[in-house]
Order: sequence, then C-alpha cells, then structure tokens
Amino acid sequence: MLVTSCTTTEPLKKSEAYKNMYSEKPLTVLLMAPINRSTNVDAKQYFHSTLALPLANNGFYVIPPFLSMEILQKESAYDSEMFLNAPLTKFGEVFGADAALFTIIHKWNKSYSHVIVEVEYILKSTKTNEILYSRHGVVDYNTAVTTKAGGIAGLIADLALTALNTATTKYVDVARKCNGYTFTDIPAGKYSPSYNLDGENNAGDKTFRVNLQ
Amino acid sequence: MASCTVENQLYSWYAYDEASYNFLKNNDEKSRQELIENYQQIIEKQRGTRKVPPPGIYADYGFLLLQANKTVEGKALLEKEIALYPESKVFIERILKMIEDEKK
Repeated sequence: MLVTSCTTTEPLKKSEAYKNMYSEKPLTVLLMAPINRSTNVDAKQYFHSTLALPLANNGFYVIPPFLSMEILQKESAYDSEMFLNAPLTKFGEVFGADAALFTIIHKWNKSYSHVIVEVEYILKSTKTNEILYSRHGVVDYNTAVTTKAGGIAGLIADLALTALNTATTKYVDVARKCNGYTFTDIPAGKYSPSYNLDGENNAGDKTFRVNLQ
Repeated sequence: MASCTVENQLYSWYAYDEASYNFLKNNDEKSRQELIENYQQIIEKQRGTRKVPPPGIYADYGFLLLQANKTVEGKALLEKEIALYPESKVFIERILKMIEDEKK
C-alpha cells in the first residue's frame, strides 16, 4: 500500500498509523535520557520521572528507570542526542530493550497562568532502527485556579491561587499530563487487556496541539 | 483526581512521579526515604487490575538498597524483578554480575 501525505480528514486506523508497532510488537522499552532544548533547566528531570508510568500503564515493560539511568551514565550514553540517528543494536544487547524512547523537549515556556510545552516523542526499534511510534505536540497547560466561590471575593481568591499555582507550579504535573496525553494513543503492550485488539481503533494525529487544565 | 481513575489502571503508583522527581533532583536522605516508602506502598498496597507491582519497582527499590550496602536484600529484590518480569533477565543479570565482580 502506498502511503502518501494527504490532507484527508479520514482518520487512520492504529494498525495503519503505527504499522511497525503491530509487526514488531515491542515489549521492553528503554527510557533514554530526555533531550532538553528548552531553557528550563529542570525539564529533563520532570520528563524523566514521569515517562515510565504511562508506558507501563499501557502494557509495556519499562526497563527500571533509575537502574538504567545509572548504567547509561556509566557507559557515557547519557547524552541521547548522539543516538537519535545511530544504530541502537547495543541497547538491545545490554538492556534487553526492544525499543528505545527518545523525548525531545523543544520548548517549556511559562507565563502568568499558562505553561506551554512543545515536546516530541520518538520510539525506535533497537532491532530495525525503524520508528515505531512518534508524536510531536504542543501542550498548553492552564494553571489558572478557579474556586467555586463566585463574586468579587471569589475572583480575588482565584487570582491569588493562580499566582500561587504558577509560582510553585506543579511542573511534574505538566510533564505528567504531556506524557499521559501522548501515550493514550500508543497501541497497547503485552500486559494490557487491549493488546492486539486495538488495531481497528482510530489513531490520533501525529502532531497535536492540546489544551489541558 | 487520582483516586477515581486508579481502579481501571493496570497498576497503582501513589506519589511515584513526585517521589522520583524529588530524588532525581535532590538526591538526599529525605528524598531517598520518601522514594523507598513509595516503593513499599506500591508493592504492599497494589490496587491495579494486574494485582502485581509495575515494571521496574522491585529492581529500582533493590538498587537503592544496594547503594546503601544492603546487598542481600537488594539482590533478593532484583531476583524478584526477574521472576515477575522474565524479559528483564538480560539487564538484571548483568547488574547482578557487576555486583559480584565488584566484590572480587
């Protein structure tokens, strides 16, 4: 079948959009250290600590994140940028990983009541080096707080709480929401009851823009 | 918010994201202790539909204990990871071998 880039609104089925996921059936995923191209120095850690959960919840075996990070550092493989376009066979041998997940944080901008994050996820096969799953998204996270108080008093309370919420902003929450949203579309892994049963479901867009509250 | 979605998920994680982040960032005794407590909670009070701890929890918990020189307990947890998730064998056995080699 020829896949051409077209603008049809007909959504692709998951089995078409993520063909390689269904043919390779990866089980074990190695989290590569996130690549941070944003100006937020902590973004890398926010993302690293929130990647395992959505993948595991979707049925995959995620290679123990702290243990694998230690080995990646020891083996001088902590700079994932080097491996984005390189053969990944070695990661298959050392970690028993079927796939490696690259996360590129392009932007992490904060304003009064919003955090806007642009992030790209690329899951690559360690066997064929093919891209198994990828998404590129802009997530606009609204940190504004709305109390149900209403009236002037309520409005003042909302403004004060919003400022507080942005100041301490639960950045882990932002990263968690980005990751959670992105992986809602991944074809289920072996430990999920939907494994091999979701091919007919419609796939989401590979690039997305989403507002999260 | 978390409490109402947990029942349908494969695993329950409690405050895993925060505990992991704090440990990554601070790497001090307090954050280490919190992460250990989180691991224990995940293992002992597992309410997910699979009714077993999620991937990596036994192994990462064991790794923390190994770093604290609790070698016997740490190794036992790594073995548990392999028993629960056989696909972890390649990697975990490599770690176990590294521990043996370090002792020599």
